[in-house]
Amino acid sequence: MSFLRRKFYSYYLNPRIEFPPRFDRREYAFILFNEDTMHRHISFSSRNDILSYLKMNVPAHAYYSSAYYRHPSAERMMDKEWMGADLIFDLDADHLPNARNLSYEEALKEVKEELKKLLSFLMEDFGFGERDIKLYFSGGRGYHCHVCNEKVLELGGQERREVVDYITARGLDIKKVMGEKNLPAEKFSGRFSIKTIKINPNQGGWQGRIARAIIDFFKRIKNMEGEDAIKELVKIEGIGEKTARAIYDALTDERMKRIEAGLLDQSTEFRKIAKPLVTKLAVSLHSEADEPVTADIKRLIRLPGSLHGKTGLRVTGIDIKKIDDFDPLTDAVVFGENSVKVNVLKKMEITMMENHFKIEKGEAKLPEYLAVFLVARGLAEVRPP
Amino acid sequence: MKEAKEWVKEQKVSIEEILFDDLYERARERGVERVRQAVDEGIVREVAMVSEADCIMEIFSYPIARMIVASVESDYLVRRYALAEAKKAYESMKNEEGSFIDYLAREMGVEVSGNEIYFTDYLKYAPTWDINWKLVNREMRKGYVLLSKSEVARLIQEAIRKKIYNELAFAFAPPEVKKVFKDEILGIKNKVIFKEEKRKVGEVKEEGFPPCIKNLIAAVKAGINVPHVGRFTLVTFLNAVGMDIEEILKIFASSPDFNAEKTRYQIEHITGRISGTVYATPKCDTIRTWGLCYPDEYCRNIRHPLFYYRRRARK
Ligand code: SF4
Repeated sequence: MSFLRRKFYSYYLNPRIEFPPRFDRREYAFILFNEDTMHRHISFSSRNDILSYLKMNVPAHAYYSSAYYRHPSAERMMDKEWMGADLIFDLDADHLPNARNLSYEEALKEVKEELKKLLSFLMEDFGFGERDIKLYFSGGRGYHCHVCNEKVLELGGQERREVVDYITARGLDIKKVMGEKNLPAEKFSGRFSIKTIKINPNQGGWQGRIARAIIDFFKRIKNMEGEDAIKELVKIEGIGEKTARAIYDALTDERMKRIEAGLLDQSTEFRKIAKPLVTKLAVSLHSEADEPVTADIKRLIRLPGSLHGKTGLRVTGIDIKKIDDFDPLTDAVVFGENSVKVNVLKKMEITMMENHFKIEKGEAKLPEYLAVFLVARGLAEVRPP
Repeated sequence: MKEAKEWVKEQKVSIEEILFDDLYERARERGVERVRQAVDEGIVREVAMVSEADCIMEIFSYPIARMIVASVESDYLVRRYALAEAKKAYESMKNEEGSFIDYLAREMGVEVSGNEIYFTDYLKYAPTWDINWKLVNREMRKGYVLLSKSEVARLIQEAIRKKIYNELAFAFAPPEVKKVFKDEILGIKNKVIFKEEKRKVGEVKEEGFPPCIKNLIAAVKAGINVPHVGRFTLVTFLNAVGMDIEEILKIFASSPDFNAEKTRYQIEHITGRISGTVYATPKCDTIRTWGLCYPDEYCRNIRHPLFYYRRRARK
């Protein structure tokens, strides 16, 4: 038995599995060590059966279906009879535009920011409560957010895609959302009507979000030194130096008051400014070209409490209130301190269990938790005893 | 009307009575009229109701109409009738006060409070392929989507249509119905057949389709999941070149999440059969930003896929 499999076995002798709701209606799937194929269409009628399976087979990866079925172990989708599915968001470092250049720890931090944005959409806009939402560290490079609520169970693929589009701002029409209006001309300003946009930071949905971001943005610009403000403004696509200067110079106290009251003029510039703000507010859930997996009504998701074969970390639940405190390299670690002799393949630095390690290439004695992590990630080897 | 409905519920009137008793003669006539109006005009017209008896006859005419529709055994009629009744409800919602809308919404199991509707119900009934109805462009707070009164009515119209359709699609009428309304049913059947025939028109030259459209058709046929905007482009295009709904539907039938009823509804919406607005086929520029443009040598100087077709189909 390989080192990793031995360690996983010791965990699965007495694992802390969190069973999904309606666990007996789910399809389960496993990938075993030294195998590429997935064992699918497995179902369990008791929690104990799941536990024995894990102990007997010691999988490298364990999954269950977000959907629940009348016949979860049927081989053909058609025969399974779909009954509903949880709404699951998969936030992964691989979906971030700059993921490649980040270390494991940095990448997870970035994903956590996305997770927080997602939560704000789910709770404020969609109105889900803490009871409906479960958060998990995926064991790999991301977080999973499960929404388990009666109302969403039967949403179809197309409807789920609308939810995803809302959160990622795909198809958002700034013009429409922000309601451009021709206000009647004010006194003294001539006979022409001016194009004005009325925004309201207290509104719900994207309206309010964009409104708040715009007001904050102008406040920030106003508080900047002239040259810094111009530099910031020309970063925006379509705004040149001349326009930037004009915008900055026009930000008088009086104008600022109007903006804070939600009145914006010069609608085109405003749209240019709003665009990058929307990108910042939206959640990066998937890259442009990808099909959002959240919209998939029959996908597989990692079993909470199981171990991730590529890290040895545990798929771990997170308390919504304590997101900031959650540290995957401490809280998702299940292995102990016993020292293990390994052959490290690459020099590196890493913080795990609140200990900072500086590791050189070559033979080393490391605590078991770190040894498992490195071996699973392919950064170290253990010679068979 | 609402009270009358409650009243009727409490009375135990048997189907025999409704079908044979002289007392319900007027209800039977109105029942036939409802179906005829649905076939001829696409909407069931409201009637002036002066007395309580008028009200009661109107209410009884509804189950009668449904039994007649079920007896004709035509999916086309079921669809047309469901839509016509839903449109009638929409008209009356426009005129009645808010409490009536709330009442109908509750009957349909839709969660409405004032002008707000819970987002899952919204998604079930809103034509979200239309940019104006896309959820992201709507104001939503704590799970409720804010709408105008007529938009609420529009969603409930769709809920009603769906409900009636689902109820009638697999319904059987008692055999007596066929006897009592023998002539009427025959008349309606003939009309329905005639109407269905008439819709099969014109010849479409697929060779002349621009590459963007050909690609979409290939993707849909291969069972690849095509995004909303792609379907939208395809339907508006095929409609513009004169394909009928059945033919368009056939193309979509191999799509992985194909749902005949839903797809048909989308097509009917986009092509103006339901809303009255025919959506225009997007311009090349738009198609390009969606990443669906695959130009070939004939696309040079083409700004709209329909120009491409018109130019090439002539040859
Ligand atoms: S140029 Fe226009 S017609 Fe040609 S493929 Fe692109 S979108 Fe279609």
